[in-house]
Amino acid sequence: MKKKSRITLYDLIPFIAFLAIFLVFTFLSYKPGKGFLMLRPANLYTIVEQTMQVILVASGTIFVVAQGGIDLSVGVNLALSGVIGTWASVTTGIPWLLIPVTLSVGLVVGIINGIIVGKFKVSSFMVTLAMMIGIRGLVNFIQAKILAQRLDNAFQALMNSTPVKIGMFIVVVAIMCYVFEFTKVGRYSRAIGENETTAKSIGIPVVKMKIIAFALSGLLAGVGSIVSLVTIGSTSQQMGVFFEMRVAMGIFLGGVLVTGGSSAKFYKILLGSFSIQIIVNGLALIGKSDSYISQSVQGILLLLILVISALSANKRTKLRKTPADALPAEGGNAPEDKETSE
Amino acid sequence: MSGNILEIRGLDKHFGPTYANQHIDFTLKKGEIRGLIGENGSGKSTLISQIAGMNIPDSGEMLVDGEAYSPKTPKDANDRKISMVLQELGVIGNLNAGANIFLGRMDRFKKFGLVSIKACNQAALDEFEKWDLPAPPLNKLTGSMMIESRKLIELVRALAIEPDVLLLDEITQSLSLNNRERLYKIINRLKDAGKSVIVMTHDVEEMIKITDSITVLRDGAVVGEVRSANTTPDEIKSMMVGRTVSGEYYRTDHVADFDEEVVLSVKDLNVSGELEDISFDVHGGEILGFCGLSDSGIHDVAKAVFGLSKITSGTIHLNTRNIDILSPTHALKNHVGYVPKDRDNEALMITSSVRENMTMPSMTELSRVGFISPASMNNLATEMVEKLSVKCEDIFQPVNALSGGNKQKINLGRWLAKDLDLLILDCPTRGVDVGVKAYIYQLMKEAKKEKIATILVSDELTEVLGMSDRLMVMKDGKITKIIRRDEDFTENAVIGVMI
Repeated sequence: MKKKSRITLYDLIPFIAFLAIFLVFTFLSYKPGKGFLMLRPANLYTIVEQTMQVILVASGTIFVVAQGGIDLSVGVNLALSGVIGTWASVTTGIPWLLIPVTLSVGLVVGIINGIIVGKFKVSSFMVTLAMMIGIRGLVNFIQAKILAQRLDNAFQALMNSTPVKIGMFIVVVAIMCYVFEFTKVGRYSRAIGENETTAKSIGIPVVKMKIIAFALSGLLAGVGSIVSLVTIGSTSQQMGVFFEMRVAMGIFLGGVLVTGGSSAKFYKILLGSFSIQIIVNGLALIGKSDSYISQSVQGILLLLILVISALSANKRTKLRKTPADALPAEGGNAPEDKETSE
Repeated sequence: MSGNILEIRGLDKHFGPTYANQHIDFTLKKGEIRGLIGENGSGKSTLISQIAGMNIPDSGEMLVDGEAYSPKTPKDANDRKISMVLQELGVIGNLNAGANIFLGRMDRFKKFGLVSIKACNQAALDEFEKWDLPAPPLNKLTGSMMIESRKLIELVRALAIEPDVLLLDEITQSLSLNNRERLYKIINRLKDAGKSVIVMTHDVEEMIKITDSITVLRDGAVVGEVRSANTTPDEIKSMMVGRTVSGEYYRTDHVADFDEEVVLSVKDLNVSGELEDISFDVHGGEILGFCGLSDSGIHDVAKAVFGLSKITSGTIHLNTRNIDILSPTHALKNHVGYVPKDRDNEALMITSSVRENMTMPSMTELSRVGFISPASMNNLATEMVEKLSVKCEDIFQPVNALSGGNKQKINLGRWLAKDLDLLILDCPTRGVDVGVKAYIYQLMKEAKKEKIATILVSDELTEVLGMSDRLMVMKDGKITKIIRRDEDFTENAVIGVMI
């Protein structure tokens, strides 16, 4: 059986987009006498640091997206778990408590999402949208009561040191990549995204997989929260604001279709997360850091992605009815005739 | 032009280097019922899709009633009184039956710029009544209906434009026996009214029964045209494949032959609105057939046994593993396989690769301490593709590029990669050609030899009669009769209790 590569133009778009975005902002960031601001080591470090958070959370959310769902609650989940975790470690005086408490809160929120989506069959978009609004209120309430809390300095310094942070990042991402690409949870999640009815009639535990996916998404929001806290040093009102969009954009910009399924690949998160972070960072460098411009750009990008995603999904289902070497001469007017494949 | 409603002269169509249709000449008389037959890939669907306006010929001409005809869309075809029920068209799931039938022709129900849904629904009911077909509930969306109801809605939509030529592609496969009879009557009514019908079906016997003449295609070209009255199924089949084929592909023995050991034991199973007090045993090496009319509950039995239904009472006990089947996951874990009826929507992930589809039920077997290596998936998929001789470019080709027969080989074959106790088949030969059909029966015989218990649910009576050791005849969600292979195992004996 010959092995033929099936790299289509659509698979290349995320790479091209990444390069284009990087080059455009690099050139735009040129300041006479200062060189390319984008390429300064300090700036590149900032990009990597911020992208790490997006990648960490996205590596959990990808399971939900692969199933054809979306988790909009990761931003507020990051804030809630961080605020409660910090409060626990500050009041008890045990700095290490931050880690288990933050992770547990994230996990619990994720499981609640999963149960509502899986068991009660509510659309994940609506459930997590409600969560996003509700939990943000809760976060603000807690913040108002306890005010901003600072982490223990020694603990923060240790956690924020480059080897610890990068080390943790690599370990977590490696584990998530492994789970997503090489275990039943990942395979089944993609099968559910392809066709839920099919998944069910093969015997895939759909409800269980949905709960697991949201639980992972929540847990990784907790991980993201810890990284964010040790970077900044304290909680704030701005924690996790619009972060869910950055995660979603990271996944979609990488080329994962909104419908999930076999288009979901782990490497795409890395690619997409860097792309979105370079946009955010680049806009700041060229003095357009006002949140309204940044947000507008992100919104327009998201729309673009959705349109490309939809177009490509249509094209895939149409074109793939005929084998690659028997495409009709007229191009778009592909026959929906299964028999031409033989 | 005298009696010809449709004429096709020298029609060519190719996709890239492959010819799908080569110099087709085809003439259809007024009032003629014509069969169009060929193996998967013979180009008959391509031909039909060009008549229906879904594909445009590369060269050649078509005439309708003596005037040039070159449709660009199905609507162009409808305007020339050519309508169709094709596999690719389907219904719009989010609309009810009435809206589907009069889609694009709603103007007649307009009052002051608003469409009267009531008038539309009433007109739909009238159409169903006119053609003596069971009307579906109009308050239900078609997407939630069974495949049979959807096909009937498509049929009525095609009839509602009062066609001169009606194209029917594999419609009988989705219909139960009683609705098939109704369809035959409709075809005769059209014939009496001087209208013409082109029928495509893989069921050769049926085609000979209902048509006046048959055109056989092979490799994109017409190989012959015969009068239905003067031909035999074997003649047609040998024309299709280009050599003589033996007519026998069912079992040749006439004894019920299976082990003492009970593999699955269903007791007093009730599913509200679907099944009532179903009890039966399946033994090792037994093929247990289920037949009945469309609403008799045969498909629901298959679903329920695999744990897909909410059962109100009763037990489904898998004796070999000493457990009750509670969910599909549970069934999968305990060596039970299920081949659903609706291949594209319920069984396969059609935009995924052959590999993903082939290996999906075997994830547990492939996983080593939680690790599923791509290499082991490739090996399994390659092995099965070769074993079942699935025609595909490679294991990474998406399955929607494959033909119906090859898709079905994957749908069924992937379960044979596993060590099964029980295999549940719901219409396993729906929409596949003679060759693949024979192959599927061969696989079933092999499974029988390996002492796998098989539940075979089918709308085709000859199939269940040909393959089963025992046959459960169902009516209104109940089992009405159980016949053993060595008893009175004939169509007449079954039809008597079925209706």
